[in-house]
Amino acid sequence: MKNLLFRSAFLAVLAASPMLTSCSDDNNDTPTPDEENEQITTLRYELTPVGGGTTLTAQYRDVDGDGGAAPVITGLTLAPNTTYTGKLVLLDETKNPAEDISAEVKEEADEHLFLFEATGTNVTVTRTDKDKNNLEVGLETTVQTGAANAAGTTGNLKITLRHQPGTKDGTATPGDTDVAVDFPTAVR
Amino acid sequence: MFFRTPGRVRGRRAGSVLAVALLCVLPRLLWAQAPAPADCALLLSGRVQDHESRLALAGATVVVLETQQATQTEPDGHYHLESLCPGTYHVQVSFIGFASEVSEVRLTVATYRDFRLHPDAVVLKGAVISGQRVAAPTTQATATLSEADLQQTRGQTLGEALQKVNGVTALQTGPGIFKPMIHGLHSNRVTILNNGVRQEGQQWGQEHGPEIDPFLASQLTVVKGAASVRYGSDAVGGVVLVQPRALRDSAGVGGELNLVGMSNNGLGAASGTVEGNLRRLPALSWRTQGTVRKAGTMRAPGYYLKNSGFEEGNFSGAVGWHKPTYGAEVFYSQFNTRIGILPAAHVGNQQDFLLAVARDRPLETTGFSYDIERAYQQVQHDVLKFSGFVKTGNAGRLSTTVAQQVDARDEYDKYRPRNDNRAALDRPALSYTNRTSTAELLWEHRAWRGFTGSVGLAGTYQFNRYADGSRQFIPFYTNYVGGLFWLEQWRQGSWLLEGGLRLDQRDLQVKRATRAGGVFGVEESRFQYTTPAASLGAVYDASTHLTLRLASGLTQRAPAPNERFSDGVHNAQYELGYDLVPGNGPARPETALNLGFTATLHDNPRLNGELTVYQTRIRGFLYQSPILPPVVNIRGVLASWQFQQTDATLRGLDVSGSYQLTARWLLAGKAAMVRGRDTRQDEWLIFMPADRAELSVRYALPNRVGRRLSAGYVQVLGTGVTRQTRVPRNYAERDYRLPPNGYGLLGLEAGTTLHWGRLPLELSVAGANLLNQRYRDYLNRYRYFADEMGRNVTLRLRVPLEFSRAKSAPTP
Repeated sequence: MKNLLFRSAFLAVLAASPMLTSCSDDNNDTPTPDEENEQITTLRYELTPVGGGTTLTAQYRDVDGDGGAAPVITGLTLAPNTTYTGKLVLLDETKNPAEDISAEVKEEADEHLFLFEATGTNVTVTRTDKDKNNLEVGLETTVQTGAANAAGTTGNLKITLRHQPGTKDGTATPGDTDVAVDFPTAVR
Repeated sequence: MFFRTPGRVRGRRAGSVLAVALLCVLPRLLWAQAPAPADCALLLSGRVQDHESRLALAGATVVVLETQQATQTEPDGHYHLESLCPGTYHVQVSFIGFASEVSEVRLTVATYRDFRLHPDAVVLKGAVISGQRVAAPTTQATATLSEADLQQTRGQTLGEALQKVNGVTALQTGPGIFKPMIHGLHSNRVTILNNGVRQEGQQWGQEHGPEIDPFLASQLTVVKGAASVRYGSDAVGGVVLVQPRALRDSAGVGGELNLVGMSNNGLGAASGTVEGNLRRLPALSWRTQGTVRKAGTMRAPGYYLKNSGFEEGNFSGAVGWHKPTYGAEVFYSQFNTRIGILPAAHVGNQQDFLLAVARDRPLETTGFSYDIERAYQQVQHDVLKFSGFVKTGNAGRLSTTVAQQVDARDEYDKYRPRNDNRAALDRPALSYTNRTSTAELLWEHRAWRGFTGSVGLAGTYQFNRYADGSRQFIPFYTNYVGGLFWLEQWRQGSWLLEGGLRLDQRDLQVKRATRAGGVFGVEESRFQYTTPAASLGAVYDASTHLTLRLASGLTQRAPAPNERFSDGVHNAQYELGYDLVPGNGPARPETALNLGFTATLHDNPRLNGELTVYQTRIRGFLYQSPILPPVVNIRGVLASWQFQQTDATLRGLDVSGSYQLTARWLLAGKAAMVRGRDTRQDEWLIFMPADRAELSVRYALPNRVGRRLSAGYVQVLGTGVTRQTRVPRNYAERDYRLPPNGYGLLGLEAGTTLHWGRLPLELSVAGANLLNQRYRDYLNRYRYFADEMGRNVTLRLRVPLEFSRAKSAPTP
């Protein structure tokens, strides 16, 4: 009889146990903006003619993050045989207010290197700023254009940011790519 | 849970009574009804077990010698023989690898008789031969990897080991991640039961392998085909059962030690089990188990694949209390792994990406190292399970399984944050936690006029969150699933019919962060589904050596959160869920109709084999395909994938056979084919496994009495995989790279048991890809960038341990 009682009790516990699982109510939380996650949503390359004139801007902007709407890319049309002063601006516009990533890069200039590669157009970019180890950075540049593009052709300017913590040696090789953006560029 | 036994007369007491009470009362009612032994309607039933391990023996043959009535035991070792006249019989029980037993049984009333077979040392060598095992009588094609088969896969991940089963392939990501694929279906369509618990990890990535330590298992069973009625709608493609040995029930302490070493990537694995049963408290048994596994850089022919190492550390423990009429068990396991991700996938612009994909070998290669650099994944999976059963008198058995699982997955990008303060925190870019509570209540009723069956209730509560600071990839979601199922088998002569029904109710609540136009917002949605499943099948023993099976199933499956709402980048791949693809509405549930036919030739002295043909039609088939041109972000171009939905028909064939050429030579082969059609677009489906075949010759070395070596064998194995030519139209515009060429691989394996004192050490050495072939597999995501593993030699050692004083501990 005792055994029967025990078994019945055991049975009841068994039958009830599925209901005992914790259904802790974590249901009220909602996603929050990922403030701690770094993103670069915007890269702006501002070119001012040395002799004065309108500033030209190339821009890459993707405020809704990876995927979704495609990034909006504005290219450059530069005047032939002109010298420009170039300035790079990087922003994280997912933060409010927008975070100035270029200021951060400047602070840690000894870990960063910008690369400028022009193809199919007569554009030469020279880095003019240096870090504390006297290695070039590339936030500030001089841009020299040559002869105009052949009619109907457009070249490309590729801007790459290499992140090289502890390994920066003036070359592109060490580190990782933080930015790699192509701008359609022409000299006309 | 009110349940009506078929044909039961005294229904008036049911209904108003509590389920629990009903289950206690029912046995007596049924028992009172047992038919008078006047005519030949007596039932003989019981259970067949291994005398040593007390494991149930599935597929053992039970024969009444006088009447030649015969049956095979079910997966849990039970057998039932019906329509016996009162009298005295001799019952013979046999199972390959065990000494047959003949026992005298006097029948006056329905009788329950258990058998415990002793392993037969001589026959045991035969049991190692694959393809000669008698399959358990289910209506689907089912394959089992027993301990001997598993021994040949030790050191591999679960998904890799399962590829030993014909018809099972894997979606692979490099050397460390294998996701099982059954008959062309995978991920949310394959259910894995880890020690009776539905594995609920984070299956949202193609490069997320099952978070299970295969050393836990003493047996892996694969149900090839839908088993949705029993296991839920996710089992539409098949089920993998990871089954540990039953807890020890003979007094003493024993265990086992496994050591594995691999030459290619310097993999080392060690796994140990210690288990015991108390002499003074025979109901109490326990087991602890632990595994460590570490691999360095993998070597493809000619180069080392950068950052391809991985490491793993797992442990588990179980305590059980077993009495003949009731029992309970508590089990806890933890799985930890860190897996390096190939940096070749991180590329610049589209041109660089296409160059990287077209390259013969990755631009960046490396030397050998055990270091795991960024990018890597770090996963921890915890399972806490409680299970118990009570025999409800003679009427059946009530069992329950309650489990809590926590899966924490951190994915570290290759890139560190630019900000030094943030970089110093070393936070993952993606940090996800998935908590799942599952519960199941099952009542199996006693055999009654040829019927056996079970009724069950199953429930799941799951929620998925990501940590503050983590990128969103999968939104926050909360998922409730409740299901009710009923399965019945009817056995008559050499026929077995099986039918089942299930109904699942699912409630999915999603909270998704959006940044439309750069403004942060949270989008909430809720989805409710009621999904039915039904199955009908038959098994016919055409002769003692030929079994035919027919299975059909209808399943509806609600789309999973990852299929709908994946969005973002992880491990340098961009993925997009169906609902978020511009122009798509919400994903609809899939409706699948399965048909399978299997013919098994078994227990023949020479020729044995199995043939399975199947067809699965899925309306609303959800699948992933590459996005072209690939998605661009500020770092450049990413391999990109999105979910699509179409109608599909998958047809295929698995054939395997073995032929005993002489007493020592065994020839075995197997082949599998899948044909997947997109019937809406009238073209082939993308990412279907290519045709494959395997042929092996095995020589069993003669045993000499008094020698230290026994059970020696040598085996040569050839594997061939064709190029996948059945791909969607204009394939060059649909994928980043055309399917790779076919390949052939040569393997060699030799093993023996070395008797060292009283310890039988099982030793084996196996070589894979012996010719160091360069090849790529269509289903490996690394195939865009790198080759598969080159030559690899694996050394395996298994040491069974027995610490009991009774056997005067032989451990030297």
